[in-house]
Amino acid sequence: MDSLSFVILLPLLSALLILLVPGNYRVIVRAIAVLGSGLTAWIAASLFFRFQPGHEGFQFESILPWISVGKLSLAYHVGADGLNIGLILVTGLVGFASVLVSWNIDRNPKLFYILLLLMIGGALGAFASLDLLFFYFFNELALVPTFILIGVWGRGENKTVAAFKISLYLTLGALIALAGLLLLHVSTGAQTFDVIALKTLLAGKPLSVTLQNWIFPLLLFGFGTLVGLFPFHSWAAEGYAAAPTAAAMMHSGILKKAGLYALLRVALPFLPDGAAHWLPVLAWLCLGNLLHCGWVALCQKDLNLLIGNSSLAHMGFAFLGIASLSVIGITGTVIVMVAHALLAPLCFALSGYLESQSGTVDLTRLGGLLRRMPVFGTLMVMGFMAGCGLPGFANFAGEATVLFGSWKSLPWIVVAASWSGLILGAVYMLRALRSILYGEERKELTAVIDLGWWRRLPFALLIAALLLFGLAPSLLSRRIEPVAKEIVKAATNRSTPSRVAAVVVTP
Amino acid sequence: MEHAAVLHAVESGSKIQDLAWMILVAPLVMAVGTTLFVPRDRTLAAVFNIGGVILSFCLSFVLFCVFGGGSAQCTPFEWLPIAGLDVHIGLHIDPLASLMLLVVTGVASLVMIYSIGYMHDDRSYPRFFASLSLFVFSMLGIVLADNFVMLFIFWELVGISSYLLIGFWYDRPAAADASKKAFLTNRIGDFGFMLGILMVWSALGTVDFAVAKAKLAENPALLGSMAGIAGLLIFMGAMGKSAQFPLHVWLPDAMEGPTPVSALIHAATMVAAGIYMLCRVFFLYTAAPGWPGPLSMLGDLSAATLISLVGAVTALLAALIAVQQNDIKRILAFSTLSQLGLMVMAVGLGAKAANPSAAMFHLVTHAFFKAMLFLGAGSVIHACHHEQDIWKMGGLKAKMPITFWTFLIGTAALAGLPPFSGFYSKDEIFALALETNPILFGVGVLVSVLTTFYMSRLVLVAFFGAARSESADHAHESPGSMKWPLVVLAIPSLMVAWLPLGPFLSESFDPAHPVHLGDIFFGPFNHNPIAAFFGFGAALFGFSLAYSLYWKAAKDPLPTQLGLLSKVMRNRFYFDEIYETIFISLHNLFSHIADWIDRWVISGLMVRGVSGLVNLSGRALRLVQTGNIQSYTFFFTVGVLLVVLLARK
Repeated sequence: MDSLSFVILLPLLSALLILLVPGNYRVIVRAIAVLGSGLTAWIAASLFFRFQPGHEGFQFESILPWISVGKLSLAYHVGADGLNIGLILVTGLVGFASVLVSWNIDRNPKLFYILLLLMIGGALGAFASLDLLFFYFFNELALVPTFILIGVWGRGENKTVAAFKISLYLTLGALIALAGLLLLHVSTGAQTFDVIALKTLLAGKPLSVTLQNWIFPLLLFGFGTLVGLFPFHSWAAEGYAAAPTAAAMMHSGILKKAGLYALLRVALPFLPDGAAHWLPVLAWLCLGNLLHCGWVALCQKDLNLLIGNSSLAHMGFAFLGIASLSVIGITGTVIVMVAHALLAPLCFALSGYLESQSGTVDLTRLGGLLRRMPVFGTLMVMGFMAGCGLPGFANFAGEATVLFGSWKSLPWIVVAASWSGLILGAVYMLRALRSILYGEERKELTAVIDLGWWRRLPFALLIAALLLFGLAPSLLSRRIEPVAKEIVKAATNRSTPSRVAAVVVTP
Repeated sequence: MEHAAVLHAVESGSKIQDLAWMILVAPLVMAVGTTLFVPRDRTLAAVFNIGGVILSFCLSFVLFCVFGGGSAQCTPFEWLPIAGLDVHIGLHIDPLASLMLLVVTGVASLVMIYSIGYMHDDRSYPRFFASLSLFVFSMLGIVLADNFVMLFIFWELVGISSYLLIGFWYDRPAAADASKKAFLTNRIGDFGFMLGILMVWSALGTVDFAVAKAKLAENPALLGSMAGIAGLLIFMGAMGKSAQFPLHVWLPDAMEGPTPVSALIHAATMVAAGIYMLCRVFFLYTAAPGWPGPLSMLGDLSAATLISLVGAVTALLAALIAVQQNDIKRILAFSTLSQLGLMVMAVGLGAKAANPSAAMFHLVTHAFFKAMLFLGAGSVIHACHHEQDIWKMGGLKAKMPITFWTFLIGTAALAGLPPFSGFYSKDEIFALALETNPILFGVGVLVSVLTTFYMSRLVLVAFFGAARSESADHAHESPGSMKWPLVVLAIPSLMVAWLPLGPFLSESFDPAHPVHLGDIFFGPFNHNPIAAFFGFGAALFGFSLAYSLYWKAAKDPLPTQLGLLSKVMRNRFYFDEIYETIFISLHNLFSHIADWIDRWVISGLMVRGVSGLVNLSGRALRLVQTGNIQSYTFFFTVGVLLVVLLARK
């Protein structure tokens, strides 16, 4: 079997294997989960480094015809290009890290790990699929466990409300996106959901401008809701605060990226005229993410709500890059996606460990923890600094690239305002560090224990990846740039004269 | 590619490259090594980190001697290669950089040796040295950067090392708050800096210094109407790092960090990074001035002129504040602010002569004598059991002779008395101001009077007279590791200005007028007697004023004489309070409004709206299914009537 399919199947098979183990053999359940996800991470990493940058088209591709109903033929079709190879890598890493931090789950670990592994496998499948129906199916496979995880293993008093809210939003978002995809499919008259086939078809015979103007917003707001696009964002922070750590890590880091991925894979290249009409709107909405969510984060007393809102703010940069419709901007967006897929899980894992030690994530009740937890504190400073865009971590590379990419094609006020989001980011991140780590030691918090040796592993893994891509972003950009060029080429291939001139920078 | 524009193909190019990379990387290796492998070993941590920085210093010295005035660009590593935005990590060596390398590594080596004694009892000794090494690495990165983005990257790294070191004693709330404030204030400056970089990049199509410089030399109008704005935005970066008005508020608070940190970072090197950066991108300020439509009333006023005004305001404001401070480190901090203001003013004024050497010259002399003053202050604080109020000191002259004499040399240099180095570098600024802007010359002289006044006040109160407290009475000279760096620093504080730095530096620029830097002894009185006499006179006047007020004074007579003005000066013109009420409250207000919108408008309307709608329709449907025959009949009749009504239309 080819390794890309293997990496999708591995977590799903591990889940199946756990299903066969009796629930009271907890050690075996955990061992299977750790081994399965660890091996997945390893293979995902090897795929990333085996990927040949600079080549056009898909690598590790494989097609398996499935069914044909009448004229419609469906096939399992996976492949990797610069757009998804980085996401596959981080899904593997974050999946492994989220299994590792869940070591202390006591309540029905069997079901917990099955759901978590389904999330990992679903996410990998969604990113690797080149067939829209499979993409949608895998994405739902990953989403549904989220709701159950929050409902059963969730934290806090209002976890039911949060679970209800997150399910409502995400289901509605997914339905709107599905409507968009089906409308797109029907109106092309294609007999397949295959991305490559649809792209060739649409390049030769684009949809009418009116139709594009209708389909694009369905995709934009449908998938946008899954990412937390302003003003459809209010599920996210509350949902993450109520979710168990592993679910918050997987969802905020990985599943959220599926929406952005779909916009880049489908909406932009398939609907150039729709993009021209709606991207200026997106450019202003992303300010809502960057500034509105930034301000909301500023007054949170609950660390999880703060991280959740900050994660929404970071999504603003991803949207900004998409709105810029330039090679540099879209390359930046993908770097931001990869970087944030590492950062958000890191922050939630930190807050999860903090809660396990101090019993609270209320910033007003914490303080002076650096003395007793120097390793934890160092990791937290590094993670939060990465969050406020410190160079050396991947987030800066992505955000700066987006900024450069959007400067020439978007109004300067939008770009300047979004960059000021980084000032806000620094304010709330430093406030959190100040109130958790700095200051005098508190009497009620003397029982906390620092991270032991092997518990550092998930944190070290995520920070190492952030540093790697921060110090050498060319590892990503070399892989992404050819795809970004293709996307921009397809998305600027309009039938109507442009309202906003998209800039394709040539060397 | 474009950046292959190596300025001079050097024969021994590869050796020079290796040398430059080693200078940069040595401190980083030590910082990382200490943190990962010997986080608890005090001796090894000190030896490694001091060794790393001394190695950098020796290599910088070799580079300086071998390579001297040449300039070269090392083959870069690719960092982010995207068509149209080619960012690389490469080193650029020229006289400006090699001089700055020596200053940074030299002062850093001495400060780190001094820290052996000063930080001896601290439990986080290894962390201290590792953070200092990290800082040196970041600072050297700024010095050696060959493009805007790399400069910005190391700029931020310097910011984080400063954050970590100000907040070194993290359990002190004041230190924790100060580190946060420093980082955030710098962030505001960096916000503008990055936008400036974007403008330059979009106008010139490159982020490489050499290429940008060549393009602008070819066509000075290339920046067009954005020249002024881009220049000012890039200057915003310097405003943050070099603590210029109105972003100056963080520097005095930064004194909460350990004193060696104040000496190295917040006096000698990091705060000078802004000046260095302005000199590095000086070609932007000599380009044709231009403003976009709404700002066209600025006309021919160049960004450089505005910069010099900001510098002058900072210099004067900080000098006034320093007059009424009582904390020995705060006095020095405000004096740093004021001197940085003079340097910024000099950069701005240098634009006409296409030569900012005067600013760089003052940066170099200031780095040495101000580092020495801070280390001297540290020695005093150490001896007086962490007492920092000068009015609780007194009579330290006899008890700490070496600290006293070196402090006196530093004071003389800062006050600008010949033949101490400060006199020559200040004189160069005064001469420049006299030629280009007489009003700023007046400001400079006034600042000089105030400088001598507050420094003399400090020395007279702290070192002369009788001891005013128990701890000052029991003070004794500091240990050798603290004494000797003071003595070593005294040498450049006296003599560095005697070296021919001017002609050396000028090779980095294309000066329209050569400068007279490096005139030894009475040279300044020959080439520009007015400036020299004013400078010298200001120092004498300031001293005599201080002498008349503070010689054997038991308490400060100024508050009664100046009344309200003294109070305003002591409270730093209430800038912190003003910022607190306006900006911070405004932000908090926005934040609460946004939170309210999220909670009530977005969640309320959308979520509750949707769930409410479902709920309502559920209730409505339930009403219909009452199981009551009468109501069924009623609804049936209504339905029939409706159908009939609609059908008749």
